Amino acid sequence: MDRMTDARLQHCLTPGLSILVGTVDAQGTPACCRGIAVASDDNLQTLTVYVPVATSHETIRNVALTRRIAVAASNPADNCSTQLKGTTTDARLAREDEAARVRRALDAFADVLDRVGVARRLTRSVSHWPAFAITMRVEEVFEQTPGPQAGCRLR
Amino acid sequence: MTVPLSDIWRCFQGVIPSIIATADRNGVPNVTYLSQVHLVDDRHVALSRQFFNKTSRNLDENPAAAAEVMDPVTFQAYRLRLRFLRSERSGPLFQTMAMRIDAIASHTGMTGIFRLIAADVFEVLAAEPVEGFLAEPPADVSAAVSLDGARTELRGLSWVSQRINRATDLDSLLSSVLQALEEYFGFSHSAVLLYDEARQRLTTIASRGFGPTGIGAEVAVGDGLIGTVARERRVLRLPSLEADLRYGRAVRRESAGGHGLLQAEIPLPGLPDAQSVLAIPLTIGAQLVGVITAEDRDPMRFSEWDETYLTVIANQIALGIDRMIARDEAAEGAVSEAESESAAPEPGPEPPPPARSDPRARVEGRASRPPRRLTFYKGDEAIFIDDEYLIRNVPAKILWKVLGESQRTGRTEFSNRELRLDASLGLPAVKDNLESRLILLRHRLEEKCPDLQIVPTGRGRFALRSDAPLELVER
Repeated sequence: MDRMTDARLQHCLTPGLSILVGTVDAQGTPACCRGIAVASDDNLQTLTVYVPVATSHETIRNVALTRRIAVAASNPADNCSTQLKGTTTDARLAREDEAARVRRALDAFADVLDRVGVARRLTRSVSHWPAFAITMRVEEVFEQTPGPQAGCRLR
Repeated sequence: MTVPLSDIWRCFQGVIPSIIATADRNGVPNVTYLSQVHLVDDRHVALSRQFFNKTSRNLDENPAAAAEVMDPVTFQAYRLRLRFLRSERSGPLFQTMAMRIDAIASHTGMTGIFRLIAADVFEVLAAEPVEGFLAEPPADVSAAVSLDGARTELRGLSWVSQRINRATDLDSLLSSVLQALEEYFGFSHSAVLLYDEARQRLTTIASRGFGPTGIGAEVAVGDGLIGTVARERRVLRLPSLEADLRYGRAVRRESAGGHGLLQAEIPLPGLPDAQSVLAIPLTIGAQLVGVITAEDRDPMRFSEWDETYLTVIANQIALGIDRMIARDEAAEGAVSEAESESAAPEPGPEPPPPARSDPRARVEGRASRPPRRLTFYKGDEAIFIDDEYLIRNVPAKILWKVLGESQRTGRTEFSNRELRLDASLGLPAVKDNLESRLILLRHRLEEKCPDLQIVPTGRGRFALRSDAPLELVER
C-alpha cells in the first residue's frame, strides 16, 4: 500500500469526523444511524464503531441478523469521506472505560461543526452514552468524497 | 408514529446533510451523505443524483432505502423508510432540483462537471422521529407563521405596492422598495440587478445593507447564483449556502486532477459570510428585467413563505421598472416634439470625440478643491478616477461624452435624447436602460468622486456639476 493510500485510510480515524452506519436486515431492507466514535488499533484490519444505545436498536438487530455493516467517516468541513465495509465480529455494550473516548469524539465533532456554523450546544445535545460498541472486520475501503472518484476502492 | 412530511419541512432545506442507506442484491449495505433531499409532496421525496455511484447501482437492484434527515433548528432527527420509484431526467421537478445544483456549480467554477443527472423519486413509506436522539427534548419552536406576522407582511405588501405606484423615477422606486423590504420583512441585505440584454449581463443598480461597494457589480447571465436565476427565469432559494458551497468545492477539489481548465470561482456578491440566499427573477411575461436578491447570515432565514411574498413583490417591481422605462421614453418623445416645434437648437448627434490631439484637458471646477484626474481607457471602455476604477462600458462612454462636451463648449445641461442619438455610445435601439445606466453612473460618482455629480434637472434631462477641477486623460 503506498503512503498516500495509507494516509487516506487513516483519515477515517481523524478526530472530529461525522460517522454514519449502514446495516441491512434479512429481507434486504437497509437501515442507517449516526455513530459517535470509531477506533482501530490494528491499522484498520478491524474497526470498532460506537453508536448510541438510544438510537441504534434497528442497527443492533440488523448486525445480529446479517452481520453486514458499512461505516462512513466524513469531515463536515471539506466533505472528505471514506467508507468501510465488512462483517460484524462483535456487538456489545460499551464499557465505562470507553466513555471518555466517546465523549472526546463528540467534543471534537462539535468543534468541527462549530467551525461550519453549528453551535456546540446543539451537537452536544445529541445522545451519546450509553453506547454499543460494534466491531467489524474491514473487508473493503472506498473513497467517498463527492466527485468522480467517489466509489473507487482504496483497499 | 409517522409524521406528515410537511410538518418537518425544515429537514428538507439542506442545512444539515441527510444520510441514506441502501443495499445491493447480495445484502451488502452502503451508507452516504446526500446533497439534496427535495420534498415533493406528503408521500414523496426526491434525491439528487450527481454521479453514477454505488447508491444508484444499489437502487437499481434493490428499491428499498432508509434516510435520516435532521431539523436544523431543533436538531431532532427523523428516519424515512423509502421505496425507489423512478428517476426523472427532465420536467419541472428535475428543473427545480437542477437549478440549485447548476447555481452552485457555476458559483464554484464547476459548470458542466458538477450537474444533476437525475432526480430520484421515492415513495415515503414511513417517517418517524428518532426517539432518544437528543439527550434533552427538542426546543419548542413553532414554525407556523403567526397571524400577526402575516398581517405585518400584508401591510408590507400594501406599502411596497403604494411606493411602486407613487415612485416618480427608477432610483426612488428601487430605494424605497429595498427600504420597505428591510422595515417590513427584515431583509436587511438586498439588491436589485438590472438586465442588459445586449451585453447579456446584470448590473447592480440598487442595494441595501452591503455597504457602498455593491452598486455597479456585474454578473454575466448564467454565471453564479444570480446569473443562473437570470438564465433560468426561476426563483432560487438556498437555505444552506455554506453547506452547498462546501459540497461544490469538494467536488471541484476532487475533479481538479482531471480538468485543468476549471474557471476561477466567482466572488459571492454581497455578504462574505452569507448562509442563505433568495434570488428572484424580475420578469414581465418571458422578458427578463433583472433579479432581486436577499441574503442573510441565518441559514434558515428564507422560507417558502418568504419566497412566495417576495415573488409577489418582484412582479410589482418588474412592472414598476418597465413603467419607468416606458415613461422615460415617452417623455423623451414629447420633449423631442416640443423641441422641434420651438426650433430649439439641437445638439449634434455626432459630437467630436474628446481632445485626442491634446489628451490632457481640464474641466474647470472650484479652485479650492484639489484637481481630480479621470482617465478613459478606450480599449476597456473604462474610466478610472485618480487610478481607482470608476465605471465601464456604456455609462463610462456617457460620462466621457458629457465631460468632453463640457470641456469643449462649457455646456453643463444634457438630455437623454442626445445620448440616445449618439450611436457611438452603443445604446440598443429599444429598451436601452438609459435611465438605469444614469442611476448607476450617479451612484458610482457619489461613491468614488463626490466632487463630480450627475444631477437630474427634469424628466429626461440632467446636469453635470463639478466641485473640483477635472483633468481628462484618454489612453
